[in-house]
Amino acid sequence: MNCEQAKTQMLGGAMPGENQGEEFAAHLASCESCRNESSRIGALWQSLDLLPVEEPSGKVRERFYEMLGAYRQGQASVTMPVKQAWPKMIWQVAAAAALLVVGLGVGYGVREDRSRPELVQLREEVASMRQLVALSLMQQQSASDRLRGVSWSYQVEPSDEEVMNALVTTVNHDPNVNVRLAAVDALRPFTGSPATHLMARNAVIQALPRQTTPIVQVALIDFLAELKERNAAPELRRLVSDPDIDSGVRKRAEWALERMQ
Amino acid sequence: MMKRIVVGMGLVALAAAQPQPGAQDGRQQITMPFRDPSMPRKLVVEGGTGSLTIRGYQGQDAIIEYTGREIPGATGRGRGSRNEPPPGMHQIGGSRGLDITEESNTVRVNSQNIFGGRARDMVIQVPAQTSVNVKTMFGGSMTIENISGDIEAENFNGQVTINNASGSVVAHSMNGKILVSLDRVAADKSMSFSTFNGDVDVTLPADTKARFKMRTDFGDIFTDFDVKMEANAAPVVEESKDKNGKSRRRVRVDGTQSGTINGGGPEMQFTTFNGRILIHKK
Amino acid sequence: MAEVSGGQVARLGVLFERHHRPLFRYFVSMNGNRELAEDLVQEVFFRMLRYRTSYDPAQSFTAWMYQIARNAGVDQARKRGTAQVVDIDTFVDRRAELVSASPGPEESASRGQDLALLRRAMDQLPEDKREILVLSRFQGMKHEDIAEVLGCEVGTVKVRVYRAIRALEQIYFALEKEKAS
Repeated sequence: MNCEQAKTQMLGGAMPGENQGEEFAAHLASCESCRNESSRIGALWQSLDLLPVEEPSGKVRERFYEMLGAYRQGQASVTMPVKQAWPKMIWQVAAAAALLVVGLGVGYGVREDRSRPELVQLREEVASMRQLVALSLMQQQSASDRLRGVSWSYQVEPSDEEVMNALVTTVNHDPNVNVRLAAVDALRPFTGSPATHLMARNAVIQALPRQTTPIVQVALIDFLAELKERNAAPELRRLVSDPDIDSGVRKRAEWALERMQ
Repeated sequence: MMKRIVVGMGLVALAAAQPQPGAQDGRQQITMPFRDPSMPRKLVVEGGTGSLTIRGYQGQDAIIEYTGREIPGATGRGRGSRNEPPPGMHQIGGSRGLDITEESNTVRVNSQNIFGGRARDMVIQVPAQTSVNVKTMFGGSMTIENISGDIEAENFNGQVTINNASGSVVAHSMNGKILVSLDRVAADKSMSFSTFNGDVDVTLPADTKARFKMRTDFGDIFTDFDVKMEANAAPVVEESKDKNGKSRRRVRVDGTQSGTINGGGPEMQFTTFNGRILIHKK
Repeated sequence: MAEVSGGQVARLGVLFERHHRPLFRYFVSMNGNRELAEDLVQEVFFRMLRYRTSYDPAQSFTAWMYQIARNAGVDQARKRGTAQVVDIDTFVDRRAELVSASPGPEESASRGQDLALLRRAMDQLPEDKREILVLSRFQGMKHEDIAEVLGCEVGTVKVRVYRAIRALEQIYFALEKEKAS
């Protein structure tokens, strides 16, 4: 191997799936200039790794899911606009969704006119988008992303069973305490909808014996106390008399039982 | 899959890869490279019985330094057991129960409980841009500094201190203060700080845009930010009878207080059962 | 990716989660504009959705995605009129005089730490050199995949990566010299 050939091998070993070979090692052993060059550019190659990694804003995810949602709706619908019209429709959905999202659960910002079918389809698409965003975020690896998913759940309809179930799963199984805590609070709106309120209440009662972290236990107890959920009484009494449970939690369970009288 | 990284010789100045035992304290050091540049760097630490410090630095690898030490006042446990050093002798190594691996650019440090009254203190250095996920059960204090990746920290019995963070922070302690200082708040990251017993003390840059959700059951909330409060539940007045039949009146503000700073932004949750919430402007 | 070809559009979500961040980093490294990079990420996923039936499962997914990404980038540049054609060799020659000034290994170890300067040097690299560094270093792509994306021979990739890092080194030290004076 000569210097020319050696040069091209210098970064070979640094790349996934690549190998530099013995000939290269042998050449380096005998050639000082290649040795110097190799270590210099090797150092530079390593330093590149220290450059800050640019992260996209959350808008990228929102836009993607709204496009996906719109696409899915479009696939199911019979009266689909011709493919050429797609891009325009997506941006219309995007613009409308942006307006609605800013409203933050205060209700739809546009004039309600149910006689216009496009608007209804639009609302459905946006609702489906929010659901997709919430569900997707709650499955992310990073706890901060899952927290965002839980906050997004406040944007969906209180009758949305899928999101409610995802929240219950999060309360019971999420590895991060803070995410479980946030998910308990996020279940509150679901107790207001006739479709889901029974399920939400039951889920919280059943979650109580499964939690071992005091801060989440207290959040669940407070939830039940606020609702004056008498069905939770047996579970609360069990907590009060269990010596392994933190004393702060037990006192809270006692307080909750009193409150429900 | 094993991946070789060969960058020639004489290289980037890194800490030495050889273990460097100190005679008095049995300090050991291990260097683990992050080998897969196509994946983001991550450090996961589990277990531990002593103090834990994680620090971002200018290098490329994860450098794990640990020492075994006696826990003062440990009574009975382990006395006369095989794990106690014979009189006049000190331990070398002490790496039993310490498992360090790297895969897909994630370095995992798993430190099992050491019985016999000995604790293992650890100092881990990683490139600043590493995401850190730490969970300790029986350890002492936890300190994380100069990290720009996402931080997830959970401590059982001890304070969680996070300094000079510029990524997202999600922190919890069962029994201990949460003390966090952020240099920079990324535009779309949600954060949460919680403890059961202790203060939640967080410092944020003055121009942070966020929506605060704050709850403390026994304690007060203090801040020097100008928080635009949202309408909250009215105070609840409770009449009850105490043990002696005397009528008792309590006024509680139930539930979470919410408000926005600088026009609002991603959510930051501050939760403590027994303690104060302090949110400082930097 | 084959699942998406089968019509299960929702699976694209999984691919999105895995790939949208590195894709964003690719675009931002190439054109320096965050907003444009976000638009381009969106465009790439839209195109992948739309042309999903053209994906051959035997092909590397990353290679396919980055081919689409490059096309999207070029289309964007054409629209905005910012496409630049840089004569690579001229650029290198201009810096040739600095080769003799390159330091030995010990010195370069500590120098590599000035990240701001490194960032600037990256930005001043001709586009094609910057691109191959981004694909090989930031995306960690294998040589075969890079070859497929760039439409060249696998052997050429090694040479081009080497030339790119040499060019980066020369610019870096030139910038350092400027800074010192």
